[in-house]
This record gives sequence, structure tokens and C-alpha cells, in this order.
Amino acid sequence: MIVLYFDPGLGAMLVQALIAAAASVIVFSKNVKAKIQNFFSNKKVEKPNQDSINIDEDENNS
Amino acid sequence: MRTIPNSFSNNHSSSFRDPSGYVFVDNNVLKRAVLPKYFTQYNALKSSGFYKKVIKHGLLIPHNESKTTKECIELIPEEIPFITYPYEWSFSQLKDAALHTLKLQKYAVSNGYVLKDATAFNIAFHRGNPIFIDTLSFDFYTPDSPWKAFKMFVQHFLSPLVLAHYHGPTILKLLQTHIDGIPLSLTTSLLPRKSKLNPTILTNIHLLAKAERKYKNQTDKKTKKIKVKKERHLNHLDALYSFIQGLNVNQQTEWANYYENIHYDDTALDFKKNQISEWISYLDLKTVVDIGGNDGTMVRSFSHDLDFAIVGDIDENAVDLNYQKIKEQKDANIIPILLDILQPTPALGFDNKERFSIINRLNKCKPDSTLALALIHHISLSGNVPFLKIAEFFARFSNYLIIEFPNRDDKMVQLLLDQKRDFKNHFDFYSEENFEKDFCVFFDIKKRVAIPKSNRILYLMEII
Repeated sequence: MIVLYFDPGLGAMLVQALIAAAASVIVFSKNVKAKIQNFFSNKKVEKPNQDSINIDEDENNS
Repeated sequence: MRTIPNSFSNNHSSSFRDPSGYVFVDNNVLKRAVLPKYFTQYNALKSSGFYKKVIKHGLLIPHNESKTTKECIELIPEEIPFITYPYEWSFSQLKDAALHTLKLQKYAVSNGYVLKDATAFNIAFHRGNPIFIDTLSFDFYTPDSPWKAFKMFVQHFLSPLVLAHYHGPTILKLLQTHIDGIPLSLTTSLLPRKSKLNPTILTNIHLLAKAERKYKNQTDKKTKKIKVKKERHLNHLDALYSFIQGLNVNQQTEWANYYENIHYDDTALDFKKNQISEWISYLDLKTVVDIGGNDGTMVRSFSHDLDFAIVGDIDENAVDLNYQKIKEQKDANIIPILLDILQPTPALGFDNKERFSIINRLNKCKPDSTLALALIHHISLSGNVPFLKIAEFFARFSNYLIIEFPNRDDKMVQLLLDQKRDFKNHFDFYSEENFEKDFCVFFDIKKRVAIPKSNRILYLMEII
């Protein structure tokens, strides 16, 4: 670990656990909502054709 | 002055903040020096195959190792022909740059590394896509540690995007006055109260700003104890990604329907496209800068033979539309940039050398031709700039100038003159004769063609 060349902000570090926990709740509730929608809907709710944050290891973009 | 004692004598003036290494120019080739302080990280990133993978996935600019000594490892990154800065990007560009940064951080953490900084200047647009350009921005991930670059990410990306969502894209220019990102206190003061109803904005901006205010004068004795579980951090990145992906900005544009609304019938427009295309292929021009290029419609009619075309416009939405088209049509050689010719991007940062002015960058890049189509009446009549000064300006960066001159019978010229009201007589100089006389101080007029069914003339000029 090398020394940072900027101040990451003590407040930002302290509050990050809380923000990350809240984000986990948001992600979880969105997934539950999507599952419920899928369950009650005749048609499957398909995700729009958008870029994902996850990298497909087989894909070559270079 | 005594001799400058260390290796910093030849480093690039933008590169001094991170002690892991620096960028320098050697015989016109941009190189990156890795210093011993960063050798452990660099060797791990290399031997683990991480660099190879991020380059393969188009996340990081490719590089070759050119020299290895005990004091320094030299890298030659793939050349990017023209760098645009975050305050010259449209909303969608900044959004894609933000998403790219999150994607890279998630991939890094999943592979045992972390992005140690998250400035928007680490992203460049290359072949139509955002790409991370700071090869030394990675460090080892300490399990369950907080992301130290989180605040930086919020100040450089999340804050301006959210501000633009509420206030329109013009507010993105705040990035020009705040090159270290928009301060959290400023962002919260500018956001409407209703923004607190959004859980992502409430926690990532308002709560963050409050915490920063509270601990402002304290140093981080406690930071070693702070834990953010890896899974939670990855969820945080997912949530930020999906929130930013859904962000939009609504604003009517000045020019986005330009080609639908005005001044040209199809014959005139086709004539103009064909004529410019003919000149460009006749002269074998490979690089152009279109100043006032709207959404790039004109450039697209001949861009297939070009190495690259820089397309600037004053209107954020026109630049955004251009960027959307670049993505859809995979126009790898078009470089969009927000550009107000009456107020061009200045040099910024330490010693005014950290970020270059647009004039400086165009001077270095020296495009073969400058294009100024349907533009001079705006500079001359709206901006009150005399012809001679405009000619001098256009003679700066290219050997050729392709310029369109609308005469006094043109509807737009008449409108601009009428808007001058009592001051209208001041613009009696606005005529073909005066235009040619002043431009001939700097240029030879090679071709002069009247555009049919219009009151406009197209000129091809070569610098004297």
C-alpha cells in the first residue's frame, strides 16, 4: 500500500460503511422488486439493452 | 538559474501529483516513467495478468515497456491524437466516463486491486469510447477497507452529473473552475431540497457532505478501524452504476434541430457537402477541426477518409447528440468537444500549465484544415469581432481554411443585424469585399464557390 497523494476525507471514510450498507439495501430491494414483477407478469420483464458494470471475461474490447 | 536537479526537468507539466511516476515527452513520444516506489505494485499488476486483462477489455490504454532500469521503468502508452478535458465534455460523455471508472473499480476489486484515485482527468475519449489513461492508478486492495477515492469520485463525477440533472448541462462548466472536482458543500447548496428524497443522492452527496463538514479539522487516527465489507462495497458500486445509468438531463437545444429548421434546402446542403468533400480528397487532407460543427452532420459526409476530425460546438446538446451518434455509428475518428470560440478553454492548474488551453492543444495537433461553416456571422455580428482578428485566429493552427461566408441578404445575417437595433450601422463593414480583403492578409484564396439557392459563398483558403 503506497501513501495517498491526496486527502481521502475522514468524514468520507467514516460514512462510507453506512452509505455502502444503504446501497446494499437499494440493490437488494430492486432485485426483489424485479423478481416480484417477473412473478406476477405474464411477460418476463427484460432488462433494457444497457451496458453492465460487470465484465464478461470472454469479451474482447481492445 | 541553476540546473534542475532531478528527473522532473523533462516531465509533462500535467504530471506531478502522483509520486508513483510521471509522464514525459521524449523525441515527441509521450512516455510514462514508473518510479521504484511503485515497482512492487507495477510488477504484481503485470505478472498477475491484470494489465493484460484490463487492456483486453478496453478499460485501460494499452502500453509497451520500452526500458527497465533500477531507477525507472519506461512505458510507451498508445497515442491518443487529441485530449479533451472533462469541462469540454457533454453530459453523456461525463456519464460514460463515470460508468467506466466504476466498472474499472469493480473489476479491480474483484481481482485484488483498487483504484487509488478517481479523477475525471484519468479518462480520455479514444476511438469514440472512454478509456482509463493512468496506468499507475492501481494499488493492492486491503480486504474490507473503504474506497479512499470515493469522495474524489463524487466530486468529479456524481456531483456534476446530479447538478446537471436538475439545472441543465451548462452547470458542468463548474468543472472548469474546480479542477479537483466540485466541493461537496457547493453541490449540496445548489441541489434542490427534493433531491434529498432520492436515497442515492441523500446518502452519497448530502450525508457525505455532512460527514465531511463534521470531521473537517480532524486527522485520520481512526481510519485503520474503518471497515467496509467487500461485498457491500461492490453493492455500492452496483448501486452507483445503476443510478448514474438512469440519470438524464432535459434541456431544449439551441442548435440540435439546426439542419431541420433553417437556411438550407437540400440542394444547397448537398452541394456544400460535395464541394468540401471534393476539396478534402483533392488536397488529401487527413485531419480537420470543425469549429462550430454542430452534431457533426457535415463532417460525417467526408470523415471516412480522415484520420480524425475534431468537432467543436458551443451548444452542449449538439455535442451530446454528436457523441450519441459516434456511439451508435461507431465513428471512431470523430472527437466531440464543447467549444465556445468567443471564450475558448483557458490554460488551468498550477503555473497555468497543468491543463492546456484549447488553442495550445490545437497548435500542437496542427490539423490539416480548419472548417468554419455558417460561423463567421456569429463571431463577427454577435461577438463584434472584426474580420482581421478572426482571420488571424483561423490562421493559427492549420494550413488550409474552408470557410463559409453568408452575405447581407442571408436570413440569419439579417436577423443578427436587426437584433443590433440602433447599433446596426456599426456593422456596415459586413460585406464580401471587406471579408476577402481582411482574410487575404493571412490567406490566399484558392477557390471561391457560390452555394446555389442560398446567399452564401464557400471559400478554400491556404495560409500565406
